[in-house]
Amino acid sequence: MNESLTSEIHNTFKNTKCSIIGDNRLLIKTENEVIAALLKFLKDKNFNRLAMVSCVDWIKRETFEIIYIVASFCIENPLNIIIKTEISRKKPEINTIIDIFENAEPYEREIHELFGVNVIGHPRLIPLLLEREYKIPPLRKDFDMRKYSKELFDSIPFIGDKK
Amino acid sequence: MDRNKISKWLKEPGKMSQKYSLSVVYFCTGCGIIEIPPVITARWDAERFGVIPVASARHANLFMVTGYVSLKTLKAIIRTYEQMPEPKYVVGFGSCPINGGMYWDSYNTIKHLDKYIPVDGWIAGCMPRPEAIIIGVTHLWTLIDKGMAKGYVKYRKKYKYFRQNQEKLLGKLPWQPAFSTGDNNE
Amino acid sequence: MRELELYFGPQHMGMVGNFSITLSVEGDKILKATSNPGYLHRGFEKLMEYRTWIQNFPLVCRINVIEPDSMEMVYAMAVEKLNKIEVPERANFIRSVYLELARVGSHLFGLWAYSNMLGFDTAAQWAMYHRDLILDLFEELTGARVYHIYINPGGVRRDFPKGFKEKIVKTLHSIGGCVPDYNDVFFNNRVFYERASGIGKLSQGDAIKYGAVGQTLNATGISSDIRKIEPYAAYDKVDFNIPVRENGDAHSRILIVRDEMIESVHMIFKLLDQMPEGEVWNRTPNPFKWNIPEGETYVRVESSRGELGLYMVSDGGDKPYRVHFKTPSYNNGLVILEKLLKGANIADVGNIMISLYIIAPEIDR
Repeated sequence: MNESLTSEIHNTFKNTKCSIIGDNRLLIKTENEVIAALLKFLKDKNFNRLAMVSCVDWIKRETFEIIYIVASFCIENPLNIIIKTEISRKKPEINTIIDIFENAEPYEREIHELFGVNVIGHPRLIPLLLEREYKIPPLRKDFDMRKYSKELFDSIPFIGDKK
Repeated sequence: MDRNKISKWLKEPGKMSQKYSLSVVYFCTGCGIIEIPPVITARWDAERFGVIPVASARHANLFMVTGYVSLKTLKAIIRTYEQMPEPKYVVGFGSCPINGGMYWDSYNTIKHLDKYIPVDGWIAGCMPRPEAIIIGVTHLWTLIDKGMAKGYVKYRKKYKYFRQNQEKLLGKLPWQPAFSTGDNNE
Repeated sequence: MRELELYFGPQHMGMVGNFSITLSVEGDKILKATSNPGYLHRGFEKLMEYRTWIQNFPLVCRINVIEPDSMEMVYAMAVEKLNKIEVPERANFIRSVYLELARVGSHLFGLWAYSNMLGFDTAAQWAMYHRDLILDLFEELTGARVYHIYINPGGVRRDFPKGFKEKIVKTLHSIGGCVPDYNDVFFNNRVFYERASGIGKLSQGDAIKYGAVGQTLNATGISSDIRKIEPYAAYDKVDFNIPVRENGDAHSRILIVRDEMIESVHMIFKLLDQMPEGEVWNRTPNPFKWNIPEGETYVRVESSRGELGLYMVSDGGDKPYRVHFKTPSYNNGLVILEKLLKGANIADVGNIMISLYIIAPEIDR
């Protein structure tokens, strides 16, 4: 079943590479423009569950890598498909996939808040977890967490008992 | 009751009856949501020590901060503390309010609870056992007897400094100061 | 009638942990609900990048405070997959028994929260007492009541002490002997049926569209369990059933919780009978300087609320490069809750929230 699926994907979409990593895990590397068409194609093949949307910051290569993981609701099908694509780090932008999978909404809000990736077409891009805005989004690799926390919290003085 | 206790009850009935009936505000902040229910239910029954949870802050006089405090929760804690009637006591739980604990380098949790509201006692542990919580309550009784649990008096006297610390961390606060600070800038 | 905005603050009967929702109501009916998480955010995914692989074990179990054992299991499985470490046979059986005991403890905590909210205080006090008996077992095995840190990459930290098997059997018999009392007081009670049936109804098509997991999915007629789809530890050596119901409302979800607890107890007895002898830990070569080869992986585990997943990337160093947890309460709390609260009454808010089994620290991490 895996060979027929990979050959179909290779024939339909240009510039995609499939490989198997571990048991029941298929990895597909593709370009940003064909993501929506590829996800719709997989949803018609009964992979209709979106597990998560994630992001990795490769600061040395100057790219962000966006990851989509889809699976199936059927109990006999244990295959999980990991789809990766790379976008530029200077102006990161992706298109929303809410019209294909409705439960992608909070994942895209979280990527926007913690990495600074702009999601075009999202209906509600308001803050989800953080209380304030940071100059550099907190999960990027150039945000020095220990230096930030030491400067902010140690600058507030203790209150003594003297009159 | 022996003669000491009877004389104490006759001299200061207000303090003794308040000591043996502390009501706790039912506010579980962080990791403390697993060790508070065993203390209140049947096995380690805290009601024999006079401690019961109440729903509203206006009915309570003990506030237990159970676990780490994030920036959003600090606003809720300060508002709840200012609404409690006096005399009121605060007890910090676990090692996170003492000095940051396990999350000492995080960007979203505060490191010392002392700087924002006055604290009367600490209970160490990660999470403390239910027996440690009950021993903490009995230590608080000793402090109340000797007149050493005066956190609310310190809050009233030094309110200017507390409010300065809160505004330095959280920005402009949307509620009015609880006591007059003596400044003319609102 | 006028529209009013109501703020259901961070501490209320409907939630384990701090999680607030903003409702816009007209009279008694809810028109729109928005959830505001973020009260328990510590920045775990950034904290774990500053600590080595072994130093992360005491940190990772604090993400979910009710059942920390499934977090340890999923992180250890990811590390073993990237580094290709073999686990001995006896350690697999011990891990399965340990995870099933944690599942029973977590379901008893959920039963305390739910029956307390609905007004059945007797069942709540019993459930909390029985959970304490299981925590006593954990204290004898690992040394601590709530945060155990027992699973290491390559096995478990130490073997069962002498006479421990008989203690497990005795405790579970005493808890299992109370199931007829629980049935009389709570599960078969007519008042529970009147208060909970028909509330928070989720159809099968909606469950597939919004990506439900765990009891929320099994209550709509679809049977799904990671222990059967991709068996890990010793789950392929013991057979068990997956409880499934048809109605999709709060009543069915709580009955599935009871059925899962009974299945777990039977599974523990079968596993204890089949356990082989042998070693329990395949030690790492040098824990102070341990580099893991480059790669990425995605592992899944069935926790007591649904499917728990971890996506991990390593760049060949001694610290993780990127860690992302996919927790079961994230989907239920931020997508399904807002859809189910639309059109409900204000009095049913707590009922719907706890029956979806949302734990707030898992959403914020």
